Amino acid sequence: MAINSFIKGALEIGKAMGVTLKTLREKPVTTEYPRDPVPLYPRFRGKHELRRYENGLERCIGCMLCEAACPTGAIYVEAAENDPANPTSPGERYAKVYEVNLLRCVFCGDCEEACPTEAIVLGHDFAMANYNRRDFILTKDVLLNPQEAHVVIRPE
Amino acid sequence: MSDQVTLTIDGRQVTVPAGTLVVDAAAALRIEIPVFCSHPKLDPVACCRMCLVEIEGPRGPMLQTACSVPVREGMVVRTDTEQVKATQEANLAFILLNHPLDCPICDKGGECPLQDQTMRFGPGISQLVEPKRRKQKHYLISDTIVLDQERCVVCWRCIRYLEEWEDKPQLGLFERGGETIIDIQDGKPVDAKTGGNIIDICPVGALTNRVARFAFRPWEIERTPSICNHCSIGCNVRLDSRTHKLRRIIGRENMAVNDQWICDKGRFAHAWVNHEERLTTPLLRKNGQLVPATWGEAVQYVADRLRAVKQQHGADAVGGIGSAKLSNEANYLLQRFMRQVVGTNNIDHRDGGAVAALPGGIPALADVMKPQYGPNPKVDTIFLFGVDPSEELPILDLHLKRAVRRGGAKLIIAHPRQVELTRYNGPYLRYRPGSEATLLNGLTKYALAATEGDKPKVEQMVGDVTDAHLADLCGVDPDAVQAAATLLATSKSALIVYGPMAARGETGQAVLNGLTNLAMVTGHYERLAYVGLEANSHGARDLGVLPTHLPGYAAVEDAEARSRFAAKWGGDLPTRPGLSYKAMLDAAGSAIKALYIMGANPASERPVWAENLEKLDLLVVQELFLTETAAKAHVVLPALSWAEVDGTFTNLERRVQRAPRAVRDPHSKAAPDWMILDHLASRLGSRWGYADEHAVTRDISESVPLYAGLTWEALGDQGLQYDAAPVRPRPAYRKVVQAPLPAADSASFALVTGTVLYDGGDLFRLTRQMANMAFGATAVLHPADAEKLGVEAGDPVVVSNAHGELTLQVKLDVQVPPGAVWIPESLPGAPVGALLNGSDAAAVSVRPVVERQAALAAD
Repeated sequence: MAINSFIKGALEIGKAMGVTLKTLREKPVTTEYPRDPVPLYPRFRGKHELRRYENGLERCIGCMLCEAACPTGAIYVEAAENDPANPTSPGERYAKVYEVNLLRCVFCGDCEEACPTEAIVLGHDFAMANYNRRDFILTKDVLLNPQEAHVVIRPE
Repeated sequence: MSDQVTLTIDGRQVTVPAGTLVVDAAAALRIEIPVFCSHPKLDPVACCRMCLVEIEGPRGPMLQTACSVPVREGMVVRTDTEQVKATQEANLAFILLNHPLDCPICDKGGECPLQDQTMRFGPGISQLVEPKRRKQKHYLISDTIVLDQERCVVCWRCIRYLEEWEDKPQLGLFERGGETIIDIQDGKPVDAKTGGNIIDICPVGALTNRVARFAFRPWEIERTPSICNHCSIGCNVRLDSRTHKLRRIIGRENMAVNDQWICDKGRFAHAWVNHEERLTTPLLRKNGQLVPATWGEAVQYVADRLRAVKQQHGADAVGGIGSAKLSNEANYLLQRFMRQVVGTNNIDHRDGGAVAALPGGIPALADVMKPQYGPNPKVDTIFLFGVDPSEELPILDLHLKRAVRRGGAKLIIAHPRQVELTRYNGPYLRYRPGSEATLLNGLTKYALAATEGDKPKVEQMVGDVTDAHLADLCGVDPDAVQAAATLLATSKSALIVYGPMAARGETGQAVLNGLTNLAMVTGHYERLAYVGLEANSHGARDLGVLPTHLPGYAAVEDAEARSRFAAKWGGDLPTRPGLSYKAMLDAAGSAIKALYIMGANPASERPVWAENLEKLDLLVVQELFLTETAAKAHVVLPALSWAEVDGTFTNLERRVQRAPRAVRDPHSKAAPDWMILDHLASRLGSRWGYADEHAVTRDISESVPLYAGLTWEALGDQGLQYDAAPVRPRPAYRKVVQAPLPAADSASFALVTGTVLYDGGDLFRLTRQMANMAFGATAVLHPADAEKLGVEAGDPVVVSNAHGELTLQVKLDVQVPPGAVWIPESLPGAPVGALLNGSDAAAVSVRPVVERQAALAAD
């Protein structure tokens, strides 16, 4: 009885050690964040960014469709008329105020879908912790100047 | 022939009045036929071809325009066949050919008939690959209306509105075919006073509101049904707000008041509501400076000082000035405060006690309206005495134009200026200011001659007026007087309207008596109406903001009425009539030691009043802005405007209407008028205990018999009229004596004042887009006079008399009679009151500013 259970135990250990030995030669799955970058899929939806055209004009025309599409009411837009001599965006209209409340946002991406000019995109920045509630409201300054400018326009 | 017609639409039978258009008959069955050019208030043109439906005819079903074909007995209409669908799709595709994809930046997006119909009836996909036509975008057709010719679908609604309603064809179609554009005529901007209505009826985003441009999106605004607070018509409007800010005002239909139209001042001049100049905290004068204070401090200060003044000088040394711009609730409580808590009848408002008004106003505005398919107006003759609806009551102007052009009404106008409405039929009597009595006696005399039967005893009273008097004293053609009097005497139902300009001062009572005589001789007394000009001119009078009358026109001497109100309010009410607005301000600093001014700015009216206000022991001003008067106050109490608190207003036809709270600045400490007065009363030992503004409305409906039953709930969205019969005085013939005209020599000018729409008041001037439309500090002269004086338009002139002098810019206009100068009230920095001393008739001299003469001499 004792011998039987001893052999059974040794077999079990051997099996477990086999798994260990087998994975010993594989690369580790764990990423040493923040030392190492986290791999992200192209469609990852992180912190919002407002984009510009190559000539520097803002893409956002202040149409407020993102605001209408937002299921949580996280976006607030206030539109105004462009100064023709010194336009902010092409056309007559631009967003004077554009705010995203990160505490409300559920990162669904509906704003991206609604945007007729691909101005608002969800970027790849996911480190959004903050010390202050006010800092969770992204203003135009922040949105137009993402810290890491690596936005890829999604193919769809 | 029966006046009801039965027809079949999509297999369903419907019976409608004869003359109904197919599109409206279908609407009765809730079948939607898409339209662009058709509008229920405009004549059909059938130019957009969107409403084509199949109508059964002798040659089988034919496509016809539903918006222009009237119904026929037994007509068979189909709106759902393949052919109709194909036509609708083709038409929409055709309209969209050159319509730009502007929807994201277009203010109409979200409430756009073109969007809606494209979604409902459109082809779904576009076959267009070619570039669209480019036309003018962002093209200002006036200071307040932006035209985008690319978006226009050429439905002509704007052109037709200006032709059919305004009778000012200022927009037209230019070019042909696909190049067709809407444009202004000869480069002249659209200056019709109600031109903004074309924005509301534009079925696309071609015409947009410049003041509200990009400030709103239809899907995110809160819509509050309210009324306009600029004039006494009380047009129904909708206040669109977002994030505690008023974003836009558009018209709302009320077929008893404004149809669906509103004027440009009501539509665009609302920037003041959320303006940064608004007062947000109480101000208290400390060491000569107005400094912010808490409400507790300010109210306690007012209470203490009022009590002290009352103890030292008696209650009659305190005066209260209400405002015809404020709600019934605010005015009712102010007079209650003055009468019950302070104990004085010194309570009045501008154009209050000193105006010979007739309570009740116009019997019904609907009597002068001519809706598109409605009956003709009930009144067949309208006599305007000293009223210029184009400047004072623009929607009445619109109704009158329509009544004359479509309803066959006749218009008689007596006015010192050749006002705009004189371009229609009917005699025009241009009288000299001050000569009203003679003119009215002359009219009565000729009216007597035109009537048959017994001549009432008034005949001897007016018998001594001769044609020579009319021609020399009034400057009126006696033939025109005879024509006007005959017209009035022979008319079945005439409306006689007079306004504050004629009813003010010493001549006012003579005008009222003269008009009463005339109205009784011609049999139109029940339609003789005084119209106040401010939003609540009638409500302020009704609710006793008068030195001589308690709410509901009970005289202050009437012991029964006094005891009725005393039982309701508590305490004893003063018995002696108080001082009028003018008397209080003239006596400020002498007999009057303390003034409580709510929503009035007398310091801007007359320099002498501005000086008097500084002599007061206590000046409390309850205001929206730091006005000239508020700047002189010891305490300034910040109040809330009509858009920020529930209130009711009474318009010129006694219609009590609701103006609910639409916005309120969460950062402002300003308080509603009723709450300020309620707190003040309780600090002075009188607990009123109103829980909210509706409690005040209820109190009014219970204490004032005239307003019985007019509670907030009962009023609804369209308001209710009260019965005027109890307050209309029984008419009696009275002799009218012509007062001597102001001394004048050949070189002097008669001064004509009056109200203009685009004046210099805070409620207008803070809308910066309208700055160019403002009347400005100008004196208007006839070109011939200007030539005589050697001045040109734009030159500065000094207008002066014994009372004071003003320096103004010259404007030339032929509507001002030769020998007169027109200086409207409330111009920025130009108080015409400086030239008046109580009466409205004054002679002035006009001379060019010396530098100009010197410059000319040097040339």
